[in-house]
Amino acid sequence: MSPIHPDQKNTERLAGLRPQAAAGTATDIGDGSLIEDPASEPPLVLGGRSIQDVTEIVCGYQEKGPGKWWLPAIMTSASVAGIGQLMILYLIITGVGTWGLNNQVGWAWDITNFVFWIGIGHAGTLISAILCLLKQKWRTAVNRSAEAMTIFAVMCAGIFPGIHVGRIWFIWMIFPIPNSNWIWPNFRSPLLWDVFAVSTYATVSFLFWYMGMIPDFATLRDRADKRLRQGISGLMRLEAPELPFMPRLGFNLPVRSDTLRAYIYGFLALGWRASSRHWHRYENAYLILAGISTPLVLSVHSIVSFDFATSIVPGWHTTIFPPYFVAGAIFGGFAMVLLLLIPARELFANMKDLLTLRHLENMAKILLATGTMVGFAYSMEFFIAWYSGNQYEFEVFAFNRVIPDWMSDRGAPYWWAYWTMIGCNVISPQVFWFRAMRTNPMVIWSVALLVTIGMWFERFVIIVTSLHRAFLPGEWQMFFPTWVDILTFVGTLGLFLTLFLLFMRFLPMFPIAEIKAVMPEGDPHDPRGGAKHDDEGSH
Amino acid sequence: MAISDYIPFFPVKPAPFFTEDGAPIHGLLAQFDTPADVYHAAEAVRDAGYKHWDVHAPFPIHGIEEAMGSRRTILPFIIGGGAITGVCTAIGMQYFMNAIDYVFVVQGKNPWAWEAYVPITFELGVLLSAFAALFGMLALNGLPRFNHPLFQSERFLDSTDHCYFICIEARDPAFDPTKTIAALREAGASNIELIEESQA
Amino acid sequence: MTTYTPAISDEAYGHRLDHVASDKRMRPDNIELPQGAWSGLSRVCMFAGGAGLILTIIGGLAIGPKHAIASYHAAVMAALAPCIGALMLIMIFQLLNTHWSITVRRQFEHLARLAPWIMLLLIPTAVIELFTGGTLFAWIGSEGHLAEMKEPFLNVPFWLLRGVIYWLIIFVLSQRLTGASLEQDRTGDRWLTAKMRRTSAWGIPALALTLAFLSFDWLMAVDYHFFSTMWGVYYFAACAFSALAIVMLITAGLRASGRLTGIVTPEHDHDHAKLLFSFIVFWAYIFYSQYFLIWYSNIPEETAFMNIRKSGGWEIAFYALIAGHFILPFLLILPRTVKRSTPLIGALAAGLLLVHIFDLFWIVRPEVYAHDAWKASLAPGLSPEQSTEAYNAVMAEGPGVFGWWVDIAAVVGVMGVFFAMLLRRVASGPLIPIKDPRLPKALNHRNYV
Repeated sequence: MSPIHPDQKNTERLAGLRPQAAAGTATDIGDGSLIEDPASEPPLVLGGRSIQDVTEIVCGYQEKGPGKWWLPAIMTSASVAGIGQLMILYLIITGVGTWGLNNQVGWAWDITNFVFWIGIGHAGTLISAILCLLKQKWRTAVNRSAEAMTIFAVMCAGIFPGIHVGRIWFIWMIFPIPNSNWIWPNFRSPLLWDVFAVSTYATVSFLFWYMGMIPDFATLRDRADKRLRQGISGLMRLEAPELPFMPRLGFNLPVRSDTLRAYIYGFLALGWRASSRHWHRYENAYLILAGISTPLVLSVHSIVSFDFATSIVPGWHTTIFPPYFVAGAIFGGFAMVLLLLIPARELFANMKDLLTLRHLENMAKILLATGTMVGFAYSMEFFIAWYSGNQYEFEVFAFNRVIPDWMSDRGAPYWWAYWTMIGCNVISPQVFWFRAMRTNPMVIWSVALLVTIGMWFERFVIIVTSLHRAFLPGEWQMFFPTWVDILTFVGTLGLFLTLFLLFMRFLPMFPIAEIKAVMPEGDPHDPRGGAKHDDEGSH
Repeated sequence: MAISDYIPFFPVKPAPFFTEDGAPIHGLLAQFDTPADVYHAAEAVRDAGYKHWDVHAPFPIHGIEEAMGSRRTILPFIIGGGAITGVCTAIGMQYFMNAIDYVFVVQGKNPWAWEAYVPITFELGVLLSAFAALFGMLALNGLPRFNHPLFQSERFLDSTDHCYFICIEARDPAFDPTKTIAALREAGASNIELIEESQA
Repeated sequence: MTTYTPAISDEAYGHRLDHVASDKRMRPDNIELPQGAWSGLSRVCMFAGGAGLILTIIGGLAIGPKHAIASYHAAVMAALAPCIGALMLIMIFQLLNTHWSITVRRQFEHLARLAPWIMLLLIPTAVIELFTGGTLFAWIGSEGHLAEMKEPFLNVPFWLLRGVIYWLIIFVLSQRLTGASLEQDRTGDRWLTAKMRRTSAWGIPALALTLAFLSFDWLMAVDYHFFSTMWGVYYFAACAFSALAIVMLITAGLRASGRLTGIVTPEHDHDHAKLLFSFIVFWAYIFYSQYFLIWYSNIPEETAFMNIRKSGGWEIAFYALIAGHFILPFLLILPRTVKRSTPLIGALAAGLLLVHIFDLFWIVRPEVYAHDAWKASLAPGLSPEQSTEAYNAVMAEGPGVFGWWVDIAAVVGVMGVFFAMLLRRVASGPLIPIKDPRLPKALNHRNYV
């Protein structure tokens, strides 16, 4: 990487927007990513990086490794994930009685966690697909990690419906295969739609993610191949961690890491050779895949919302659920992207040049927008619950959620869950009306954390508060989670982090080819792409 | 892409040009330094009437299809076929299973009511079109193909990093070693390399 | 007022504006209509509008006010939808900082500027409702459990007050946004773009609430038993859809009269058609979700609303709506050639505008005879088949020959006035925002895939 002082180079780049503008003043614009001048566009890649630098930075994460923090981090998260797996084993051996479910609340943390995780997955598709269709070029900085997050979140989500059926060895009965009872699954059941929706979503997201990585795998393959041909790649070495008072232990393995890279990345790259005729079909397929992923992501969370909304349970049956769940999913997913990427931005070398403050600001704006949308849906639900004139509907909102039990005899014991949800989801993102807050990574991270908590509580509120008090007061029952409930959820957090850490270590974390394509250096009609001045804009 | 990439023993036309050592020639590989250079060179090659040639770049250069004069892909129709297949499969499956073979009467709903069959119809339509998109794209591109004459060139490995190439294949009717080299040089190539067919 | 730091000097920016103004595509006979152009067309529309409205009044006197009011009201809501939708879309474009929409943004602005004036057409409905004690909006004169429960919201003074508040919000937003855009045409001040973006940031939530409650008050309340949390989103889908359709129609008209050559290119058409496509799908998504959840749960107070609109002859309208508002346009707009052809997309847009009006009629009109039909079907001693027949017989009175005639008169009347105002506005100034900072990028916009 060329040792260029970022500010100086950047000022030059900004001044060079037009030949005439060279004389213009370019004062006090920081690193340039936060320009608000409508007459210019903030650069997507900072630090005066060339196309070669982008390859160097992103491939460096795989080739040089992320740093010393990685191994302890993944060991911790994998241990937590292991605890979760033990809980699942315990559940299967013992039965769903190990959870805190009771006669009233037959769905609690399991489905809360399912909806929570599947929602988180949706931001990945949003960033990849919807922002791609809307020509929001800044998506390139975050889309790969967000897509990865989608896959991992869907994996975590898929665990819960699988294990909540109790007798998991009968799970095959949800598939439309002929069986010895001569019956077929009920296609009018929302739970069966879930099976199709979630498995389609997982498959399509995976295809989309993998397809995006094919050219980047080819880059990694070619770099390894080149080092092998040049004879500058060494043998793989296993080393014990450095400990005081201990001799350094380590030995060489009889294989070069670049050989492994060339084979593995080469296999995954499917022989991609960067042909423009291939690129044409590739881009076409990518755009169409984005086009069909967008309604897909809407449909998946809508179908998840149908699980509730097709019923007649007060608090569940409301027609705004489909778009409201989608907005909430995107909201929660963006919060998770920010939770993961803001620390990564600090931990990985040079990542701030690719993931600029502008990107964070844009995502903070999306948090504000979707948070407000969710607030809109909350208020609509509440208003219509009253307007409907349906007593049960209104009481679910007023006395099961909003009014605390210390204010009214009939008040809600779960008021704290409702008000956590409102505070985290609607109120906390409102700080992003102020630019100073939107551009402060610490503030963004904190709000993202609050939103993640709030979105978990949103699903808890919808599911548990609606169920725990049915039409007959004699049946009313509270829900208390058991240690198995809690540790299973914590286990999925560990699983998610483990998978994400593996992704950061072994897969291209940024879409190398796409970043290059949106850089002015990659535009044949831009002076920085080699065009002569008179060539500019004449196509 | 050629059928022979997939089917071994498929008759392949013998190469028209050979090196002094008798190795068949795949083509000429010219390197360019900027996207603008390769863009204009592609226009020149297109105008010279070549057919079997390609531009290699680390990212899709905007507008290169026009500069190359290549036709739009038929991929959208393949994907449309996938979507129709998925939708028909889903409709057939659901009506057969729930309205014909094993009539489910739940909630007093008509087994033939279309409303409840929409979600899965949509999902299967999307699933099959996504498969068609990825696998159709790969098939049209002739991928996966792990071995290719171009990979013999060490320079070519930079095509996925920061270098731009034009490769004109020897099987092109307009290919002429001396004239093509001159034309590529004229178009601004910074380096030109001869690529032999890879030995199986 | 926040202060911004310029990234390039005013002088350099001035050079750039000059550079854009000297572009050959920016000559006056390409970006402006001649003086008095389209005034004849506008006058024809106004005349047709006046005639239609007079016929609607005659129809109201001849076959009862309820039918005529319903037709008029549906037509007004259909005309208001694109205006509000355009206002919403402008704000979304500003927030997303899109460059591909710049060359047609002025048409959206004309529509948005009409919004407060079209809203005034609701006054006749309100006046007649008040004088007749609630014909179409039955809650005004109703008693009974639900009417009493909803009284704190559904009462005449609050209803009117809310109407005034909606009008004020829409007025302020549309004036601020379109005013700033027109000012930029004159002054070339690039910071007005930042101002418009700031207005949009708070404008979108404000307009979203306005739109939702406006649709509750003036559409959902035609049957005050009915409620749907989705209703505001449903009307928004219709708003955005119709705004895009009308803008495409106007753009096709301008291109046919030899304007905007090289400015609204197939590349722009392609993007707008894709946006229209997405709203075709979005409408279907919202329509299906709402209908489906009501169908599936089968709760009486919700289902009655859908039942009226799916029986007594209106089931044909229901399926026609699904076909015309979703399936047909979805298939027609898929081919790339259609998306990139101004005349084809203009023709499609004209059809979609009709379908949009039909959508609003499907919401409002069945209400007219539903109550009587329901009473007739409950007459003592009827078998289920006879009851259905009695219901259908009363419902069919509406779609009879004379009934249809009033519906068409109302549509021609309201749409005539609407288009008369719109056409005059389109011809009144530059057809694009000539000094928008993103214009250079918009002029050279390309879809590479």
